[in-house]
Amino acid sequence: MRQPLPLMSGHMDFVVLGQQIVNGLVNGMAYVLIATGLTLIFGVLRIVNFAHGEFYMLGAFITYYIITLMGVDYIWAAAIATVVVAGLGILANVLFFWPLRKEHEFTILLSSLGLALLLTNGGEVIFGADPKYIPSPFSEEIVELGDIFVTQQRVLVFGVGVVVLVALYYFIKNSTMGKMMRATAQNPEGAALTGINIRKVHAVTFLLACGLAALAGALVGPTAMIFPTVGSWAVLKGFIVVIMGGLGSIPGALVGGLLLGVIESLGGGYISLGFAEAIGYAIIIVVLLWRPQGLFGVARKA
Amino acid sequence: MITRRILMAAGAALMAGSLFAGVVQAADKPPVRIGAILPLSGAGAFDGQLAAEGMEAMASIINKKGGILDGRMIELVKYDDKGVPEEAVSAAKRAIEQDKVDAIVGGWFSAVALSLKEETRDKMLTIMTSSQHPKVTEEGHKYNFRLNATSTMNSNTYSKFICDKMGLKTIAFITINDDYGRLEAQNYEKLLGECGIKTLGNEYYNRNDTDFTTALTKIRALKPDAIYVSAINTSQGATIYRQIRQVGYKGTIIASAGNMNPKLVELSGPALEGVYSVSLFAPDSDNPVLQEWIAEYKSQFSNEPAFIGSLGAQAVQLLADAMNKVGDSRDYDKIAAALKDGAQETLLGTFEFDDKGQALQQAYLIRVVDGKITSVKD
Amino acid sequence: MTNRFLSILAIAVLAILPTLTGSSYLHHLMVLWMIFALMALSLNIIIGYLGELTFGHAAFFGIGAYAGVIFGMDYGVGGVAALIIAGAIAGLFGLVIGYVALRIVGPQFAILTLGFGSIIYTITNYWVDVTRGPMGITNIPPLSLGTEWLTFTTAKQYFYLSFVCVVIFAYVLHALVSSRTGRAFIATRENPQLASSIGIDIFRMKLLGFVVATVVAGVAGALYAHYVKVITPELMGLQYMSAFVIMVIVGGRGTIVGPIIGALIYVGLLELLRPLGAMRLVIFAALLIASVIFLPGGLVSLWRKVFYRRGSAGDVAKEA
Repeated sequence: MRQPLPLMSGHMDFVVLGQQIVNGLVNGMAYVLIATGLTLIFGVLRIVNFAHGEFYMLGAFITYYIITLMGVDYIWAAAIATVVVAGLGILANVLFFWPLRKEHEFTILLSSLGLALLLTNGGEVIFGADPKYIPSPFSEEIVELGDIFVTQQRVLVFGVGVVVLVALYYFIKNSTMGKMMRATAQNPEGAALTGINIRKVHAVTFLLACGLAALAGALVGPTAMIFPTVGSWAVLKGFIVVIMGGLGSIPGALVGGLLLGVIESLGGGYISLGFAEAIGYAIIIVVLLWRPQGLFGVARKA
Repeated sequence: MITRRILMAAGAALMAGSLFAGVVQAADKPPVRIGAILPLSGAGAFDGQLAAEGMEAMASIINKKGGILDGRMIELVKYDDKGVPEEAVSAAKRAIEQDKVDAIVGGWFSAVALSLKEETRDKMLTIMTSSQHPKVTEEGHKYNFRLNATSTMNSNTYSKFICDKMGLKTIAFITINDDYGRLEAQNYEKLLGECGIKTLGNEYYNRNDTDFTTALTKIRALKPDAIYVSAINTSQGATIYRQIRQVGYKGTIIASAGNMNPKLVELSGPALEGVYSVSLFAPDSDNPVLQEWIAEYKSQFSNEPAFIGSLGAQAVQLLADAMNKVGDSRDYDKIAAALKDGAQETLLGTFEFDDKGQALQQAYLIRVVDGKITSVKD
Repeated sequence: MTNRFLSILAIAVLAILPTLTGSSYLHHLMVLWMIFALMALSLNIIIGYLGELTFGHAAFFGIGAYAGVIFGMDYGVGGVAALIIAGAIAGLFGLVIGYVALRIVGPQFAILTLGFGSIIYTITNYWVDVTRGPMGITNIPPLSLGTEWLTFTTAKQYFYLSFVCVVIFAYVLHALVSSRTGRAFIATRENPQLASSIGIDIFRMKLLGFVVATVVAGVAGALYAHYVKVITPELMGLQYMSAFVIMVIVGGRGTIVGPIIGALIYVGLLELLRPLGAMRLVIFAALLIASVIFLPGGLVSLWRKVFYRRGSAGDVAKEA
């Protein structure tokens, strides 16, 4: 049924290639933002948090409601939503993850799965099952880089993503809390012994991670429609990137996320759209079999 | 949801009260129960909700006028099929055996509809509203009916319009990867090819996709005069329409037949302005029953009345009229015969069922003008 | 000894259960319970006995369903042969995937299985010529052993068929766990280094367990397909996958009774909560969280807590 691409000048082919790569990078940055939070929680706290995607969903929905119910501008709404959900993250920690910290990792994993189900279905009941659209002034405005078209919203996703990641990197490297987080990541018992307030580390980690997820939701939301079940999509992508990049590695999340985005875009564009996701998975399988600890990960001692 | 329940309870109380006050002692007549098996959670939840609302509005209208069969009220019993076949089967069994409904209306997803009809085969009067899988009526049974048009039925009207009135030379498709989408693409490619419109490309997307820029980038590179978008899911449809403009495509957009609804218009914003489609439901039609239903719907629910709701309402109306004609709510042989006997007058117009139970309905050309769905009178 | 008596009692009760009611609605639920119990038991081998989380198990359920149906409808191999073929093909996939993936452990293993599962889902969705893609396969004929009266058409018959499968499998598991191989499994799970140092080939153990699990999943899939008569690629999807995991964990992983109870809870509770309408899944999720937090060993651990004093030698084997 499909005709081959008409052979216009080679220029056109390059334009399409460039467009697909740009698309991939933007999608990839969304994955990076989601994955970074997830990898933080795993790296520092050794928790596999299935409910992570739900904070992405909440970020998107709270942004929507702040704009439509309170008439606030998009940028402010996104910022407020990020802060609110970061706070909800701390609440989730206090209610679920901190009390369970001594349990078997399966228990924590399963209760996070339950939390995810609760938030998704609760979201359906409270927000309604109908899809919604976050009205952002950037989503329809197009930026032209030569022959390549990108909406301002997508540029925003990429730009803010880079800024936030750089900020996070310096925070973890240089600040006191950052050092405490790294110490906890390396050796939880040792860290506690040297007097690090693990409780505070827990709280800050969740604050950062859920804030990142919410920011991703608020930024990426306007590029499509939002609905309460988008959380499971987000957490799935997040996990794939985290594992590929290496559990607990932020550079890994960055490279892994962008790589996944570009692979999906190119695979879909040049091989087959239907198999775009499958190609992504295939690449991940190859990476994992070659380097089980992920691209930047440290080999985990069982 | 709670307000709706309170409204319905209040309405029921009012009706009961007025019946007592009235001359006719109908208070001891059992209700006619219609089981509605719909996706009320999971992927199709919004559509299921719209269908249920449409049915309730019609039931309210009928009940306000005294119900059917000499004073029996219509009662809707809702079941969630979660969009999964075995849930529909559980729901149907429960409806037939425990709750003893008189008829079943349902079948949004094709796989669900196919299982459902097997469960009700020769046992229970069933009206499928929207599933478009051909086997629903091909392998149907004597009590099984389907209201929605199959895509082949719509394509004749639509392709003629596209050929004659739109002045296109080339076209590209973006369709969903399933029976409906593939059939759609095949069909239109052939019909449009016959009047000289060349198909430059066809991209299939999946049920769970949320981003379409990869496919649309490819299509844009082909530079077709128009892009034909085939999307049943409102969320995916709205995203596609918006993203078509976001990748920089400036040509014409054609919306596939049978998939236009107010939510889609709301979510797609400026991207859908001026776009044509075909539908069984034209909200500005002057059919009095339709207008009455729209008014009732708006008074009860906050959603805009949509196509899927109108099909649900049509199902209720058909059942009520047929049961009245026969004088019984459970003589399925007679009711089925009454439904297949000649012209049925409904809120969507007059039509007939063929002997497999497929409705042969009139399709209307529609267009989005100023953010509203309006019919096109040529 | 008490355990053996209780098992026989339970089997007897379940055997007469369908006769206690004429409602085909309840029969339907019982069939789903048995088929899902089979799935949960097989998943339990991987999660409970091998100690590894997997997200690809629903793929084997789907493979079994499709294999059983395609061989039955296109090649005329019906009945029990279809079930065996379904199991064999699923097991073959399990062998290949297990061989590749089982050297990895932990979350990486989970993602690997997820990846394989998703690829299989995508192939099923796109190989329209064979699987009819997203339209699915409909009108699947009932399972039959050749003659008229051995054709399974009613829910009750499918119940007994699945029930027999569950009993057989449960017994096999019990024997396995009490045997040397079983103890090797447990050693592998609890302390891999120690296990390998005394000569247990960890990898072969894991592969064996994995393949057995996938074979049974395949059989369950084929049973499901012939009962519900409609299959789509969604069988391999996230909804079913999380359902199976929930059954195993809530029921009690690492036990034999646990997954069976878990399947019952899943099917039964969801049906019971129907009148709650939209709140149904919210309540279900809340109960799931509660059960995970308060009963991390699953519902089976509740039994053990109550009957703690009655511990006998037989219980130790059941502990595994």
